[in-house]
Amino acid sequence: MAIPPKEFIRKIKPFSFLNEEHLDFITRNLDVEVYEKGKTIVKKGKQTKYIFLVFSGVVGLYDDDTLIDTVSRGEVFGILSAITGNPFSLSAISMDDSICYLIKKEAFKKVFDENPKFAAFFSTFINRRFRSFTNLLKETEGTYQEEIYLTRVKDIVTKEPVVCLPDTDVVEAAKTMIKNRVGSIVVVDEKLRPLGILTDHDLRKILVIKGGRDAKVKDFMVSPVVYVDEDKPVFEAYMTLLNKGINHLVVVGQQKVTGVITSKDILTLFEPTSSLISLYRNVRKANTIDELKSHLSGIRKAVAGLSIKGVHFYELSRMITSVYDSSVVRTIKIVESDFDLPNYVWIHMGSSGRKEQVIATDQDNCVIHSGEKEVMLEFAQKVNNALEKIGIPKCEANYMASNPKWNLTLDEWKENFRKWFSSLTGENIRYLSVFLDLRPIHGDHELYVELIDFIKENVSNQAIRFLAHDATSIDPPLGLFGLKGADKGIDIKKYGIYPIANSVRVLALENKIIETTNTKERIEKLKEMNVLSEERASDILESYEFLQELRLKNQSMSVSAGLKGDNIIHLENIDRIDAYVLKESFKIISSFQKFIRGKYRVDAGF
Amino acid sequence: MYIRDARFSVVDVETTGLNLLRDEIISIAIIPMKGTKILAGDSFHTYIKPSSFDIKSMRIHGISPQALSDAPTFESIAEKIKDMLGDSIIVGHVVEIDLDFLKKSFKNAGIKFDNNAIDIAILEKWLGERLGDRRTDLSLDSLIKVYNLSSRFRHSAIADAFLTAQIFQIQLLKLLKYGMTSVERILSALESARMSRIDFIF
Repeated sequence: MAIPPKEFIRKIKPFSFLNEEHLDFITRNLDVEVYEKGKTIVKKGKQTKYIFLVFSGVVGLYDDDTLIDTVSRGEVFGILSAITGNPFSLSAISMDDSICYLIKKEAFKKVFDENPKFAAFFSTFINRRFRSFTNLLKETEGTYQEEIYLTRVKDIVTKEPVVCLPDTDVVEAAKTMIKNRVGSIVVVDEKLRPLGILTDHDLRKILVIKGGRDAKVKDFMVSPVVYVDEDKPVFEAYMTLLNKGINHLVVVGQQKVTGVITSKDILTLFEPTSSLISLYRNVRKANTIDELKSHLSGIRKAVAGLSIKGVHFYELSRMITSVYDSSVVRTIKIVESDFDLPNYVWIHMGSSGRKEQVIATDQDNCVIHSGEKEVMLEFAQKVNNALEKIGIPKCEANYMASNPKWNLTLDEWKENFRKWFSSLTGENIRYLSVFLDLRPIHGDHELYVELIDFIKENVSNQAIRFLAHDATSIDPPLGLFGLKGADKGIDIKKYGIYPIANSVRVLALENKIIETTNTKERIEKLKEMNVLSEERASDILESYEFLQELRLKNQSMSVSAGLKGDNIIHLENIDRIDAYVLKESFKIISSFQKFIRGKYRVDAGF
Repeated sequence: MYIRDARFSVVDVETTGLNLLRDEIISIAIIPMKGTKILAGDSFHTYIKPSSFDIKSMRIHGISPQALSDAPTFESIAEKIKDMLGDSIIVGHVVEIDLDFLKKSFKNAGIKFDNNAIDIAILEKWLGERLGDRRTDLSLDSLIKVYNLSSRFRHSAIADAFLTAQIFQIQLLKLLKYGMTSVERILSALESARMSRIDFIF
């Protein structure tokens, strides 16, 4: 019989990993207690019989008088003590009238020992191994299955249906199939209603039958035909294919044939990278801006699909970067043919410079050249327009090569950096945070190398301190009751991704690893150089990836729903565990910022 | 007695109908509480085979005739149930009906049953009058909503009993905050509230 506590627990990860037997066992070892605001639930240094699962209200975890963490509905505390047998390392105090489900420690321990996935969840969380943590969730939830349920049959029908009437000669039907490069032909009546199907396989049989070649399609077609409505989920189509043991499934919409799908079409849907790889191939072969545009138009959807399917951010951003880079290079080469250009190099900055662009990415580019300004500006203008045309929007802040400010000779660029490093105004700091993530895309890399060398030689300690100050000026939205501003949504780019990328850049600049622009690669190098401890490096990497993935998932959902993606996360829309990890990530960022502030004596004044 | 030391038994009884003379108990759920703590793990539920009722002629949703004919009779488990209840205070939603049927059934089994009882609907009304939070709809569904509890799993005796316990738990905290810390005072306050109830809405 369904008991409410069991149903509540069942919905909460990791209890959702438990089987009925274990859930019943937990429920049989459960008490429910209410705590008045201000009441101490467990004192630091004491043992209790229980694990606490908050049902309502807020509980604060205190180290003496310092609030370390807050837990609210669906969150658990006291686990470490239960697993290790050590007393509570923090005091738990009810910060509001709170109701907790109290699970007896021995019962929890028993389930913990008997269910490895349940145990792994807590161990990974305790050790902050978010990556393995997210993997664990993905494995359980089967994002793969989500796709098969969400995608409708009509979304994977790519070709116009190839059809014929029942009285068509078999040879004619075969010719039509060859011409259209399809493995089957649907036999229809005048109203396009499906009557039967003839496949490659059937044709082979006809060949060996005497007189088969003179036959009509209707003599050999498989009829009645198995079909599926185009609005049905792909999952149903797949089940039909499997159950009927057939390879071709006719698709109908309003009783008319609209296409044919094969099991291969469906399986391709589950091959995560295939769509991006084919995009990449097509982009490289494109000869005109229009071709590029049509190939690239699918990228947002492809990326959204992959993200929802659970492809990790680092892999995905690498793939997207290759597709975008080759699109940009193709575009530049197409535009170049109309110009007689001096030596130059086309450079990307910002997220594209860091190879971290995802869905809602726009143009951030500049040029170093060694010649005439006019021709370079005209050329850059054309490239920027063409890029916009193929689907990469212009940069709103005008950080683009067509802007005379960012289309300069090597000496002019050096002069810029000299100026920015010596006069540390707010504007110059902003320029530095944009132009210290430079990545050459096309042209003469020597110009770029020379600029990087110049930057390395001329960076001043004072500039690094100012950048450190800038990187740590926005505090993560951690409040007394968990996440601040949660009701309005949290901008994870502003509060999460930028603070990490910017702080890592400061460390990279000081340690002269400027050519490496990717945040993950920078962190790894900083770890090798012992600038970052192993532990901190992995904490930051996990958080950074988590934030990027959350942002990507958020944007992907929007794109799938036909909306323009943004960076605002609404807690009520995300998984409880994601909210949990988000909070942990902000704590890691906060600690990283403290480290940066201390290291560069940011608070000592300037 | 101090509320936190008191023993409560949240009870939900299902019957074949509301006619005390003719109808019988067919299921009972008991969830013990010690002070404000709900001892959910010690919950008890059983179906009860009616003694004179023709099971086949009954139509009670959610209970199969098979489950009932396999169940023990009240008489055979009366002792056990009485032990479980002990001298605790019986708590229920519109508990009078549950009490009437329990009294009748215990009497048939030759067991004395005169435990005190608290009705969470009357308690809610009483609290509302004092804390300025009057409610006109005191149905269990409405209270579940007011106290932010999920009602998705209602309509089994044990689920209803658990939700009743959760409501009562919050009411106890309100009483403690209001300064009503003695069980005796609560019982007598509710007795006079019960006498004066006219506008009761189920």
